[in-house]
Amino acid sequence: MGKNIIRIQNVKKFYQMGEERIRAINGVNLNIQQGEVCCLFGKSGSGKSTLLNLIAGLEKPTSGEIIVYNKHIERMNENQLAAFRQQNIGFVFQSYNLLSTLTALENVTLPLIFHGMAVKERNERAMEMLKAVGLEGRANHKPGEMSGGQQQRVSIARAFINDPKVVFADEPTGNLDTKTTYEMMDLITGLANKKNQTLVIVTHDWELSEYADRIVHIMDGKIESIEEKERKVQLESRVE
Amino acid sequence: MSTRDLIMMALRNLWKRKLRTFLTVLGVVIGTTSIVVMVSIGLGMNESFKNQIEEWGNLQVIEVRSNSGNMGMMMDAGGGAQKPQNKKAVLDQKTLEEFKQLPYVEAVSPVMNGDYQLVCGKYVGYANFIGIDPAAMEALGYKTEEGRLLTAEDKSGLVVGRDVAQDLRNPKLSWEMQMQAGPPEVDLMNDKVMITYDWSHGTRDADKSIKPIKTNVVGVMPSGGGNGYTVVMPLAQMQKIEKEVDAWYKKQGMENTDRKQKKGVYNEAAVKVANINEVQNVQQKIKDMGFQAYSLTDELDAMKETTKMLRIVLGAIGAVSLIVAAIGITNTMVMAIYERTREIGVMKVIGASLRDIKLLFLTEAAFIGFAGGVAGTVISFIMSKIVNFVAAQQASDMMSVIPIWLYLAAIAFATVIGVLSGYLPAQRAMKLSALAAIKTE
Repeated sequence: MGKNIIRIQNVKKFYQMGEERIRAINGVNLNIQQGEVCCLFGKSGSGKSTLLNLIAGLEKPTSGEIIVYNKHIERMNENQLAAFRQQNIGFVFQSYNLLSTLTALENVTLPLIFHGMAVKERNERAMEMLKAVGLEGRANHKPGEMSGGQQQRVSIARAFINDPKVVFADEPTGNLDTKTTYEMMDLITGLANKKNQTLVIVTHDWELSEYADRIVHIMDGKIESIEEKERKVQLESRVE
Repeated sequence: MSTRDLIMMALRNLWKRKLRTFLTVLGVVIGTTSIVVMVSIGLGMNESFKNQIEEWGNLQVIEVRSNSGNMGMMMDAGGGAQKPQNKKAVLDQKTLEEFKQLPYVEAVSPVMNGDYQLVCGKYVGYANFIGIDPAAMEALGYKTEEGRLLTAEDKSGLVVGRDVAQDLRNPKLSWEMQMQAGPPEVDLMNDKVMITYDWSHGTRDADKSIKPIKTNVVGVMPSGGGNGYTVVMPLAQMQKIEKEVDAWYKKQGMENTDRKQKKGVYNEAAVKVANINEVQNVQQKIKDMGFQAYSLTDELDAMKETTKMLRIVLGAIGAVSLIVAAIGITNTMVMAIYERTREIGVMKVIGASLRDIKLLFLTEAAFIGFAGGVAGTVISFIMSKIVNFVAAQQASDMMSVIPIWLYLAAIAFATVIGVLSGYLPAQRAMKLSALAAIKTE
């Protein structure tokens, strides 16, 4: 494993809900290394998703420091964050979040479109990516014409298209059945391993943690324990 | 994000909500059409004034009279304390040259008036005799329907208005007989034509000492308009006739002070301006030189001024419907944001910059405006034809005129309205929190 590429130092995130102050994240310290598959594990409401949003720069911490590739995420403005995400970060959402007006191919190219890449180059790259997720035959289908698993594959292809250094996945299999869940996880970890990309997965599903190098148990906005382990399941070794 | 991608994505978003896009565009179409048609009717009003006035004469010709003659004399008579406004304001060859040097002046000619009768065979008739520099005749806007205009080479020769022939009569006949005889049968172009300053020519009282001057007709001007009763001849020819007239007066022992004129000084001149929009400027310059100047654009301006309010109201009616359309665009775009909040969030999360988001919404709004503008001008074109057709059927003066610039301005204006209407929604989309947006269900 490599160096620490994500350093989270004493991060707190509070929300004001009427009279009550909710401590969503209450003092978290965590380092994540390059190439690792890190699983933020916890029950609903434990604060795991909030932590992911903080690391990805979607939310600003109330206090503390979040350093990703030596950049202070918490100090960036919206435009800097947009550029940073464009170059370094990929996202996989629970509900796929594909743009319904665009075809699978176009959805995959979207990050490259915002990057301003030429049509020919980005289409070639997207086709390759679609091939990698096994959807080359669906390039011109709209999201509405695809199954949940296929849509998630498109969204995975989109997350990896710009060769991000870190990919965040928030309950990536929450809407999928068990078989598809394994397929998806094989796919994501397989893609990440190939280029030594870091993967941060948020889940409450124990099955997913099988794929992780480290499981960070989160409860009530704090890290309860960190479980280091050998990855039990690998793309090649897993037998169904 | 490249412009091409931006446009493609904007068009696709609009296409996805075809009905709403169509309805919003329809609002812009109605707004654009009403503005263009209203303005075109306003412009048509000016155009029909112009056509009306052009029947009276040429809009680009300024009539110049010397101030000092009459005015100066009046002032002297009134006590002599006041000097004439401008003693130098004399219409002579030198001043005419000065006129010619003014910018936009195309041609200058002295204008002389003569009181003669036209003789054609046994017929005699009055006409408005004018002597001008023959070289300037074409520039001064005279037109013939038969024969030709005078040119610089012509030392003599007449260009006669068609109506002059209608006014010819046989002086030997009594009034009743003339009525019965009907219109004279003359061919101005080919019959022998003479000019006489004997007012009793052809009657028993005719002065035998006055010999009619032989001449020929080179062209005929159309009837109606300003020149139907006019006879134009070269200045030199008229000056020659005037000399004879003076000599005859002297012989009669009469000294007609009215007619007395200094040599080389004219009462009147005509100045042709090359550009109709400069007529008033040139006219003002001539006035500043101390002359009376008058042109038909004075009438045109007065007419335009009286209908100015009407035209403003027409334009305002059109503008109101475009404002309503603009609100429609804003509404559509705000709705689009609510609908696409999640989409906006996703785009932000996967790397769209604030600028991209803003531009996308502005582009969509601009396209609504642009499409409405284009369709609006097409419909305006058709409406304009219909208005003109109906007006022609009703023999009405109303007219719709749409110059190219109005089409282009309408399209540009509608697009700008679209962008302005889209600005607030775009700003709003830009400010959406990415996280809140993707959480939206």
